[in-house]
Amino acid sequence: MEARGRRYIPYAIPSYRQRIYSNKQNKTQINMVEGQNPPERRIQKTEQDVNFESWFKVTIPFGIKYDEEWLLNLIQSQCSVPFTPVEFRYEKMQAQFFVNNASTAFELKKISDKLLDNNNERISIFISASDVPHSLQKEVKSEKMEQPQIIRELILQPRMNKGYDVSQQDLNIYSNSFDRDMATYNTKMISLNPGKYVTTTLTTHEENISKMETSVEIEKGKGQTPEEMHAESDSFCTTFPDNSTSMNSILELFPKLLRLDGQASSRPPVFNTETHKKLPTCKGSYFGSEMLKDLILQFLQQYYTIYDYGDRQDLLDVYHEEACFSLTITHNFKEQAPSNLCDYLKYSRNMKNLKDPYVQRQLLKHRKCDIVNSLKVLPKTQHDLNSFVVDTWFQTEKMLCFSVSGQFKEVEGNSQGCVHVFTRTFITTHSSSSSLCIVNDKLFLSARPQEMENACSIPMLLPSGSEMAISQEQQMMQAFSTKSGMKWSEKDCQTNYLDYSRVVQALPHPKSKQQSHEPEHRK
Amino acid sequence: MSVDFKTYVDQACRAAEEFVSIYYDTMDRRRRALPRLYLDEATLIWNGNVVTGLEDLANFFEMLPTSEFQVNMLDCQPVPGQATQAQSTVLVVTSGTVKFDGNRQHYFNQNFLLTTQPTPHSTVWKIASDCFRFQDWASS
Repeated sequence: MEARGRRYIPYAIPSYRQRIYSNKQNKTQINMVEGQNPPERRIQKTEQDVNFESWFKVTIPFGIKYDEEWLLNLIQSQCSVPFTPVEFRYEKMQAQFFVNNASTAFELKKISDKLLDNNNERISIFISASDVPHSLQKEVKSEKMEQPQIIRELILQPRMNKGYDVSQQDLNIYSNSFDRDMATYNTKMISLNPGKYVTTTLTTHEENISKMETSVEIEKGKGQTPEEMHAESDSFCTTFPDNSTSMNSILELFPKLLRLDGQASSRPPVFNTETHKKLPTCKGSYFGSEMLKDLILQFLQQYYTIYDYGDRQDLLDVYHEEACFSLTITHNFKEQAPSNLCDYLKYSRNMKNLKDPYVQRQLLKHRKCDIVNSLKVLPKTQHDLNSFVVDTWFQTEKMLCFSVSGQFKEVEGNSQGCVHVFTRTFITTHSSSSSLCIVNDKLFLSARPQEMENACSIPMLLPSGSEMAISQEQQMMQAFSTKSGMKWSEKDCQTNYLDYSRVVQALPHPKSKQQSHEPEHRK
Repeated sequence: MSVDFKTYVDQACRAAEEFVSIYYDTMDRRRRALPRLYLDEATLIWNGNVVTGLEDLANFFEMLPTSEFQVNMLDCQPVPGQATQAQSTVLVVTSGTVKFDGNRQHYFNQNFLLTTQPTPHSTVWKIASDCFRFQDWASS
């Protein structure tokens, strides 16, 4: 049976479509390729043949106002790809037809609201995923298809390197870019438990399976556990004799489908449904406990006081004998790094582009003397403690791991005043004297052009004697304590090293359940 | 640098590079398999949200939109045995950009604590801890 609407197509119908729509073939073959194909027989098909066996309903609200031929001509005149409208009809006030591939549906959606009728009123086009149009369905059913148990869920991912923005709000089906020629799609078989995974459900008839060059199909009722099914899907096993086809070749088939509403095929999806998942809310610093918060903030304050205002040689005792340090700097401008970054570039260890293992080893500083010597030659800085965001991400009795992100300013040289963004990851342990010491220190710096204009919230350091330095330090800590909600005593100002004992004693150790006491001071 | 440490560093680097490649590929293209890269008791801190244990991790990754990661920076350090009680542990730090479906692109920083889990056939590295944060200072 010839598809209706064919006469409206100004372009030649590609040969593969002709095969599908040939009126020489009986309806049974419309949804199959190359005739009889039980699922277990491997079907030789081109990608193109396979790509287009997904149906979409195209709806024009108030389409009843328009003549069928006029309307389809108008749409085709604006649409960048030829389309074959199938089963055009008027349904109450709207006009509707079907198209059988996602690329076309997408193109049609794009031109919605670009269409104007003779009164200059907009004509909207809505797209929804659909089953095979009714007129084409009748002959396809067979006794095999009476088995309702075959359900496949597909999450399809487009090739990521094709930039092609899709308006998520408008199109309920597509949520990401995809390749125009549809030659590169990724399909991911995820699970067969429709109750659990609701994002994508596609119920197909068993005959449709045969259209795919490769397919991962697991019958729901086979008695496999979810793990088994999951494991099977991950190992890419198929029902076809040839199991060597990788998932990637499977992946070249389908457009991304989201939220085809309803596991039952009889229920048509609702168009313009909100489909995409939301990201969790970003939260501020995470410390795990008040005690750890105290400990870490105090450590950072003391560390950066020395790092910014003192002699970095004094950091020697903060590092473990066997500590490691490395830094990486990245920048996001296309041109050469401006001069303010050059000081860091020569120490930058980025294994993405540094492949020489000798240099990799050289750039990893080992042992505290080497580390402190490296820190001393880095540019002088002024860190904005108010900008710090801390994540305490791992903790054992022996180890405390945290990362801090924030901003700092260069305070000397060509790059004076330039603001950078950093993330510093510390793995610490406590030494025999109960103070925190650094086992791993990884500094990551990033400079982005828009940051250059931002003023650091802390005034520039003025040349000063020790009294000035302390008072500035106190000012800083005042600002810091206000921000962090902690109170700092003068004594805390003068301590150079962090006291771990408070925290150790407060932890649920079997030996001690004392409350924290006055911190000891090291000279 | 002692010979032992050199070996340790090389091992760490190799593990890190391989791991990072697998991790982000799995995250982008085979999200369901991602929890397998974590220890049972692993913790993820994702922009300040804490997720602990495989079941919660699986749910969390299920809930995250489809991702497209671009890693621009990768560095790693071996973690000395004193801290980790003689278990082989590596700190891996990455940075780059990520685009989650339906959201704008973000810069991100991420670090992993990887530890070995010996199997009969090979040494498998798994994530003991994962810390992920957007780094979007321009808009903060």
